[in-house]
Amino acid sequence: MAATTSGAGGIMQLGVREIRAGLAAKEFSACEVAAAALDAIAARDGEVHAYLQVTEDAARAAAERVDAAVARGALDELGPLAGVPVAFKDNMNQQGTRTTCASRMLEGYVSPYTATCVQRAIDAGGIPLGKLNMDEFAFGSSTETSAFGPTRNPWDLSRVPGGSSGGSAAAVAAGMACVTLGSDTGGSIRQPASFCGVVGVKPSYGVVSRYGVVAFGSSLDQVGPFARSVEDAAWALAAICGHDARDCTSQPVGADFLAAARAGAQGAEGLRVGVVRSFMEAAGLSAEVRRKVEEAASRLEDAGARIVEVELPHAKAAISAYYVLGPCEAFSNLARFDSVRYGLADPGHKDLSGQYEASRAAGFGIEAKRRILLGSYLLSSGVYDAYYYPAQQVRTLITRDYVQAFEECDVILSPASPRTAFSFGEIEDPAQMYLSDIFTVPINIAGNGGMSVPCGLGDESGLPVGVQIVAPQFKDENLFRAAAALEACYGPAPVAPAFADGKAGE
Amino acid sequence: MTQHLTEDDVRGMAAYARIGLDEQELAQMTVDLNSIIDTLKPITEFDLEGVPPTFHPIGSLSNVMREDVEQPSFAQEEALANAPCQQDGSFLIPSILGEGGDR
Repeated sequence: MAATTSGAGGIMQLGVREIRAGLAAKEFSACEVAAAALDAIAARDGEVHAYLQVTEDAARAAAERVDAAVARGALDELGPLAGVPVAFKDNMNQQGTRTTCASRMLEGYVSPYTATCVQRAIDAGGIPLGKLNMDEFAFGSSTETSAFGPTRNPWDLSRVPGGSSGGSAAAVAAGMACVTLGSDTGGSIRQPASFCGVVGVKPSYGVVSRYGVVAFGSSLDQVGPFARSVEDAAWALAAICGHDARDCTSQPVGADFLAAARAGAQGAEGLRVGVVRSFMEAAGLSAEVRRKVEEAASRLEDAGARIVEVELPHAKAAISAYYVLGPCEAFSNLARFDSVRYGLADPGHKDLSGQYEASRAAGFGIEAKRRILLGSYLLSSGVYDAYYYPAQQVRTLITRDYVQAFEECDVILSPASPRTAFSFGEIEDPAQMYLSDIFTVPINIAGNGGMSVPCGLGDESGLPVGVQIVAPQFKDENLFRAAAALEACYGPAPVAPAFADGKAGE
Repeated sequence: MTQHLTEDDVRGMAAYARIGLDEQELAQMTVDLNSIIDTLKPITEFDLEGVPPTFHPIGSLSNVMREDVEQPSFAQEEALANAPCQQDGSFLIPSILGEGGDR
């Protein structure tokens, strides 16, 4: 696939390694990459609305630093993302940018500091393009709850990109960034990656620092990358992972994701791939997605993997456990929005409690209010013993299920989402929307890493389908090995056809 | 659908969570919450006798400490930069006790 490097359409289809090679060979400069990216956003984002803010000055400044290093022959001193167009979910602080969480509550908030994951991506040489749309405070599976309007799926603009990291997935799918970061509390990286046909990684809890990422569910949240290839995702995760003194849950990471991806690209010899029958027979799983997962399993088998059946008997309770634990943690985390230190304040109240109630009423959207009130109920005395404490016990059972299953396999293969991207407004009942997460939520509960890998288009909808790979906790390199083996069968993710070329102001 | 919560319950929770809701919002929220709580039922159906809880996913991790040394932090101006109301280097708020308050 010989991507032309002249013009924005060409540059915006390149991967991490190709950009580095182009810079080294002086085929193009980082400033030209930045310009191509900004042109692509200007030409395409009117339709997609992935970006809430474009940080043109920061992008050009970062590109100039890369070019200066190249000019003095010091490209090797730059990090793995040198000259790579990157962008960040809008719940990640980047000093001097607005960080809104797609909420009226934070509409005018300007970050006074930078999140560790953002800093590491920039330190690695990334060109920061801007901040990406999301469901408000990450509460949702479609990006429809953004206070600033939804993001549209680049594969079909009448459909949702998934969520909550919908902007992060759509920006990569539409060729408006090479790598983006998202966050995943119950599926918010993997489900939109699946809907938009890109790679999305939720690493094990503790692999990436959450310092500076606005908290939703503190025992569930994890940051991870989106990219169009497994290798690019590996470069990105390698750049942002590891211990950070500012997030005490973050852990040292010694794994070599790149080496694992390269090994997987050679085949799946000896890889033990678990398949969960109860997942494949789950009510609500569409036939085309089920067929794709079966096809992916048989292709891995052809590539040398051994397919084994494993059981996760308590995983069916994960969705209920999640909708207990998530709202409880959100209730606690969102108490910080007090209309005093930052955030929206409704003026003219006689007393502080009136200001609190009116400001939080005006600042939070309906889904945020639902989750806060649900959390308030579930943590109230009497109810706590009926739901919250048992949910934490169920969490133990789910975790044990995974530990046991992984005695027999190296990864588990399953659907990422029960179906392909749905249309705007198609799912209005919140309880129905929550079921979007049935295959992704269990590993947020247990803490394992998971990844959605594109495996072509569904045979009914013609829309992208992602399969989910899950690995043992802190064995995230297994994700990359299995994903690269799958990618060798299906090819890397293309830019969505409507945005593949000719739409970048060339 | 089971009636887990009445409108009065939701009114009380909204007051506790400091979120103002009008009567129409209150009615809809009551319907939504009851429907969501119905879906949580599986949690109550397991035999959990003797099963320890897991409060976060890294089992071996507890009480991460650092040296108690001063570290650079925000200057006053930066800390106040996002405040909706400020005065004399402080956050400005309306009366805590309301009009009837007496200090």
